[in-house]
Amino acid sequence: MLSQFDYVKPLVLNEALDVLSKNDNTYILAGGTDLLIMLRHNLIDARHVVDIKAIPDLNVFSYKEGEGLEIGANVVVNALIESDVVKEKYTALYDAASVLASFQLRNRATLVGNICNASPGADLPPSLLLYNASVKIASSEGVRTVPIAEFFTGVKKTQLKKNELVVSVFLPDPGQGDTSCYKRQTRLKGHDLSTVGVACRLDGAGKVSVAINAVAITPLRLTAFEEELNAKGLSEETILWGEKEIQNHIRPISDVRASKEYRLHMAGVLFKRCMTQLMEKEAHA
Amino acid sequence: MTTHEDKDLCALEAAHQESQERRIVLSLTVNGKPVVEEVDPTMLLLHFLRDKLKLFGAKEACGEGECGACTIILNGEAVTSCLVLAAEAQGAEIVTVEGLSKDGELSILQQEFVFEDALQCGFCTPGMLMSARALIDRHPDPTDEEIMEGMGGNLCRCTGYHQIFDAVKRAAKREREELNRS
Amino acid sequence: MTHPELEHCTYQTHESYQSKYKHVGQPYERKDAIEKVTGQARYAFDLEMPGMLHAKTLHSPHARAKIVKIDTSRAKALPGVKAVITGDDSDIVVGLYMQDKLALAKGETRYQGEVVAAVAATTEAIAEQAIHLIDIEYEVLEPVRNLDDALAAKILVHEDIADIKHVEGVFFPQPDSNIASLNRSYKGDPQAAMEEADLVVENKFTLPAVAHVPLETHVAIVEADPYTGRIKIWTSAQSPFALRQLMAYSFGMQDSDIEVHIPFVGGGFGGKAGIHLEPLLTLLSREAGGAPVKLRMSRQQEFNYMPTRAGMRGRIKTGVMKDGTMVASDITYDWDSGAYADYGVNVGKTAVYGGLGPYAVNNVSIVSNTIYTNKVFSTAYRGFGHLETLWTVERQMDILSQKLGIDPYEFRLKNMIRPGDTTVSGELVTKSTGCPIDCLSAVVKEIGWTGRKTDEEREREWKTGKVRGKGFAMIQKAPAMPPNTATAVIMQMASDGHIKVMIGGIDYGQGALTAIAQITAQELDIPIEMVEVRRETNTNTNPYDWNTVASKYTFMAGNATIKAAHNMIDQMKAVASQALQSAPENLSHGDGYIYNRHRPDRRISYKDMALGYALPNGSGVGGPLISHGYYMADGLTNLDPKTGQGYPALAWTFGAHAVDIEVDVESGSIDVLKVASAFDLGQVINERMVYGQVIGGVMQGIGSAILEGYKFSDDNVLLNPSFTDNKIPTMKDMPCEVVPIYIENPQLNAPYGARGVAEHTMISIPSAIGNALYDALGINFYHLPLTPERVALGILSGKKDIY
Repeated sequence: MLSQFDYVKPLVLNEALDVLSKNDNTYILAGGTDLLIMLRHNLIDARHVVDIKAIPDLNVFSYKEGEGLEIGANVVVNALIESDVVKEKYTALYDAASVLASFQLRNRATLVGNICNASPGADLPPSLLLYNASVKIASSEGVRTVPIAEFFTGVKKTQLKKNELVVSVFLPDPGQGDTSCYKRQTRLKGHDLSTVGVACRLDGAGKVSVAINAVAITPLRLTAFEEELNAKGLSEETILWGEKEIQNHIRPISDVRASKEYRLHMAGVLFKRCMTQLMEKEAHA
Repeated sequence: MTTHEDKDLCALEAAHQESQERRIVLSLTVNGKPVVEEVDPTMLLLHFLRDKLKLFGAKEACGEGECGACTIILNGEAVTSCLVLAAEAQGAEIVTVEGLSKDGELSILQQEFVFEDALQCGFCTPGMLMSARALIDRHPDPTDEEIMEGMGGNLCRCTGYHQIFDAVKRAAKREREELNRS
Repeated sequence: MTHPELEHCTYQTHESYQSKYKHVGQPYERKDAIEKVTGQARYAFDLEMPGMLHAKTLHSPHARAKIVKIDTSRAKALPGVKAVITGDDSDIVVGLYMQDKLALAKGETRYQGEVVAAVAATTEAIAEQAIHLIDIEYEVLEPVRNLDDALAAKILVHEDIADIKHVEGVFFPQPDSNIASLNRSYKGDPQAAMEEADLVVENKFTLPAVAHVPLETHVAIVEADPYTGRIKIWTSAQSPFALRQLMAYSFGMQDSDIEVHIPFVGGGFGGKAGIHLEPLLTLLSREAGGAPVKLRMSRQQEFNYMPTRAGMRGRIKTGVMKDGTMVASDITYDWDSGAYADYGVNVGKTAVYGGLGPYAVNNVSIVSNTIYTNKVFSTAYRGFGHLETLWTVERQMDILSQKLGIDPYEFRLKNMIRPGDTTVSGELVTKSTGCPIDCLSAVVKEIGWTGRKTDEEREREWKTGKVRGKGFAMIQKAPAMPPNTATAVIMQMASDGHIKVMIGGIDYGQGALTAIAQITAQELDIPIEMVEVRRETNTNTNPYDWNTVASKYTFMAGNATIKAAHNMIDQMKAVASQALQSAPENLSHGDGYIYNRHRPDRRISYKDMALGYALPNGSGVGGPLISHGYYMADGLTNLDPKTGQGYPALAWTFGAHAVDIEVDVESGSIDVLKVASAFDLGQVINERMVYGQVIGGVMQGIGSAILEGYKFSDDNVLLNPSFTDNKIPTMKDMPCEVVPIYIENPQLNAPYGARGVAEHTMISIPSAIGNALYDALGINFYHLPLTPERVALGILSGKKDIY
C-alpha cells in the first residue's frame, strides 16, 4: 500500500463532513471491503481516512409503516438478511443481499458502500431501483436527496461530490400485495460477481417493474420495457414475450466475465424466472 | 488529486516522516488478553496480528477478501482481516485460531477437523476454523445450507471440502451434546 | 440396455474398506494435524530471519517488448533500499529439463508478468515504494500470440533456441522454430491400419492454461553469504534436492554449498516443483551484502508471474472396425508452454507414452510438441498432462461409440488393455500392472449406468428445464521421472524406543509423513505413536530424494522404508543373538521385541537395544541403532527418440470416474450430483488420506471441467489475474456425493503392492463430465471449461458439435 493516510473516527456527522470538506484525498471508511482493496492495489492515493462507524446517525435502520425503510450508511449487508422487514417487504433486496459476496464480507460490507462503489454489476442497486429508493446525501453545506435512478453516473461513478457522504438510503413503503425478487447468473455457485442480474417487482396494483445489472455502465431500471409490458397486461404469454423483448432494451458488452450474447440470453431467462416466481407467489397469496 | 506516480522522492520521505506522527495507540483484547500497541494508521489488522503480535495463524492468500484464509473473529463476527485496518479494532475483542484451544487441549471443533482429516496442506485451516467457530456460535444446529453459506467464503484447494463440511457438522453436534450434559 | 456381468462386480468403498494389515491401510490421523489446527504450523510465508530484508518485484506490462532503458537511480536513493537489480545485473539462466528461464528479463520481455527488476529493502512498504520509482522504457513488439502463430515461426520467442541447454537425447528442440521439444512414439503401421479401418474419426480438442492455486503462494527467503559463498534457502517448495542441484548448476557452485530448508508447505500441486524465486533472491541477497531476503508472491503475481498448467490442443484420428475394435490411433498434442519450457517440456514428453489411454491399439503414432509463445510459462500440474490428453482421448472414445452405435462401456471394455498386451512404448502388461477393467466396471455399476439416453427421453426431460446425464472416463498415469530416480530414508531409534525417520520427500498435504510412519510401524511392529517422521527438511541432513512429484513418493520411499526397517531389525537381531545366545536365524521380531521363536519368553525389547545393549555383567554390545534404506527405480529406460519405445513407467495407476450430472438447459449451469471414482491402487496405505486425495482431486477436476482457465487479451495480457475472475470451486460447488472405490490388485515390486493415487484423482473428471453432457444434451463439446455460458450458447446454437 503506497497511500500514507491518517485515520480519524469522528463521533458526530458534522465532524466527518468537516474533514471531507477541508481535505483533498479523503476517503470514507465504513465496511472497507471496497476501499481497502483500492488502497492495497494503489488505485487511489488516500491522505485521510474517515471511519464513520462511530457516528450514531449513520446506524439508522428503521421501518415506519406507510412511510418506508431507512438504511443508514453503517448498516451491513448481513443485517439486511436478518431483517424480517427486508425479507417480507423488499424481497428483491433480501435476495440480492443473500447472494452478495461471502458471509465474512457481508459482515463488513454495507448497502451504502455497495452503491457508492457504483460497480455496474453490483447486486443491491437493481432492487433499490425497483423501489424508487432515494439517497440522502450530506455535506457541510446541507443535506440533499437524490433518486437512486439518478445517483449512478458511470462505471464506478456517482453524483457524490468530493465533500459529500451518503447518510442513508430510503425505500418507500411498497404497501400491501407487493412482491419482488432478484435472480442472477454467476460462473459458479460460490461467491461471484453477477454475470447479469434481474430484479422484478409486482406491486399491489399489478404493475410490473424491472431493473437489471451488468448490462450497461450503471445498473438500470428498464422503464420503457415496463411500459410495454404493463400495457400488454400480465400473463404467461407476456412473460414469454418479455423474455425476448427485454433483450431489445439492453446493450451489454462482452468482457472477461461473459459475452454480450450470453448476457442478453440470460437477461431474458432471469426475467422469465423472476416473473414466473412472482406470479406463482401472487396466485398463492 | 495526485497520483502515486507524481510523488517524488522528497515527498515520499516527507510522507514517511508524517507517518511517524500519525501513529495510533491501539488498545484491544486478543484471545482474552489485553493488548496495547502503537501502530501506523495504514497497518492492516491481519498484519498487526502477524507482524506485531506474532500470531501467525491467520494467513494471507489473496489480500482481497476472496479466499478467507485471514478470517478471524472481530467482536463476535467472522471477518477477513486483510480488509480491516488495525485502527478499526480499537477496543475490540478478537479471537484468532490461537485462541481456540484452552489449557493445551484441542477444542471440539479442532478435534473434529483432525478426526475428519478436514485439512491437507493446512494453510486455509486457521481461516476455516474461525469461520466454523463463528458459524456454530450463530447456528448451534446449522443446516447444510447454513454450513455452506458460513464456510463458502473460505477457499481450500486440497480437500474438496467434504471433510470440512462433515467436521463442522459433527463439531456442532458434539458441542450441543456437551451443552445439554452440563 | 443393462450389463449382466456387472452383477458380480464387487468392490470396497470408503465406507466399507477393511485393511488386512495392522497398520498399513488403517485410517490413522494425520501426523501433523495438531500443528495445523492450532495455527502452530510455520510455513515459509511465516518465517522471519534476523536482519531480514523484504523484496518486491516489477513486472513487464507487455507480452513481448524490448527493454530500451531502465533507470533505477530513484529507487536506489530511497532510504531503506538495500539492493536493486535488473536483467543487466544477471546472466543467470535456470531450468530443470530446458535451461531457458531467466532470473530476470534481459534485453527483452517474453511474457506479460515477467520480472524486469527487483528491490530488497528493510520493510515491505519501502520495497513497494522503490518499485514505483523505477522507470522503464519499452519498445512494444508483436507477440507470438498462440499455437498457430508459434508454428508459423515468423517470430521466435527464443532466437537462440538451437543453443538452449537441455537434457540431450530426451528432449528435441527444433532449430529456427518455436518448438522447444518434439517428441514422438510410433508403433505398428498406423497409416496402413487407418486405410483398412471401417471408420475413421478425426477430432480436435482444446483446453486453456489453468493455475495451480496453492493457498500459500510462492515464497522464499535466501541468504547468500558473500564470504563463504554459501547459499541458504528457506522456501515453499516440493523439491529441495532438485532445487539445490539446479541452483548449483546455474550459479556454477557445488551442490554442497547450497542448503535448502523446507518448512510446512501450503500446497503445491506441481507448481512448487523445480526452481522459482530462489535465483532472483540469491542475486538480491548478494547485492545486499548477504542479508537474508524474503519474497512472497501476491495472488496476482501468482497468477501472472508463476507458471501454470499449459494450454493444449489435441488432434486425434482413430481407425475402428465395425465391431468396435480400435486398429489405429494418430494423435498430435500441441502444448502452449508460454515463454519457457523449463519443466513443461517433460509434460510434453510424457504424452507420447501416456497419451493413448489404457487401450490396446497396435498401430499408433503420437507426436507431442512443446511450443513457445509469449504467455506466462507452464510447468508440472497435478496430472502432468494426463487430464489434457485424456480430455482428448476419452471424449474421442465417447464420440467413436456414438458413431458406431455401441454402448460406451462395452466399447471401452473391448479395447481395454489386458495382461499380455503391450503399452504404446512396448511394455508388457501383466497381472501385477493393475486392472483398468475392474475400475470401470465398479464406477459404471455405482452410477447405475444402463446405457445412453434416447432422444425421446431427452425431449421429455427437456420440458422440465433440467436434463440429467451420465458419463464416465478412464484414467491412466505413470510417474514422469528420469529412469534413475532415487530416494533414501534414515531411521534412528531414540532411547525410549521411539523411531525417528528422516526422509527427503516433502509432505505438502498429501500425507507422506503419515504414510511412511505407518509403513515403519508395520515393518517394526510397533504402535504408530512410537514413530515420528520428521517434517523439517534440510538438504544438509536429510537423505536424498529427487523431487516430491509424480505420485511416486509412497511407492519409492515406502520401499526404502521397508529396507531401512529390515536393516534395523537385522541390527537388533545381531545384538539380541549375543544377548540371548541364540542364532540370528532363530530370532523373530514383533510387538517391540526381538525374541527366540522357539522360546518366545526369551526376548529383549527394542528399547533396551536403542543405544546398544548392556549385558548383565555391564559389557556393551551393539551401538545406537541407526539404519537406512534406499530405492532406485528399477529397470526403467529412456525412450527411443524416433519410436518412443522403452520402459518409462515405474507403475501405472489405472482408474475410472463416472458422473451423474444435471444441466439447466437455459442457463447452461451444470450440477454434479454424484461422482464414483475407482482406482487400482494396489493397496491402501492410509484410507483417510486416500479418501482425501479422491475428494480433493475430484473437486479440482471439476474446477478444470466447468470453471477454470486463463483468458488473454489480443496482446496476450492476462485478463483474469485474481480470484475475482479466476475462480476456484468453493464449498457450495462440491458435488452432492462422491464415492471413492478402492481396487487392490497388488503390484509385485511395490510396498504392500501399493501404487500412487494422488494426481490421478483429478484426471478425466472433465472427460467424464463432457461425456455426461453428451448423454444429457446430445451435444458434443470440444473445448474446456464447460462453463454455463459455453453450454447455454451451445444449446442455443442448435449445433451438435461445439468447438
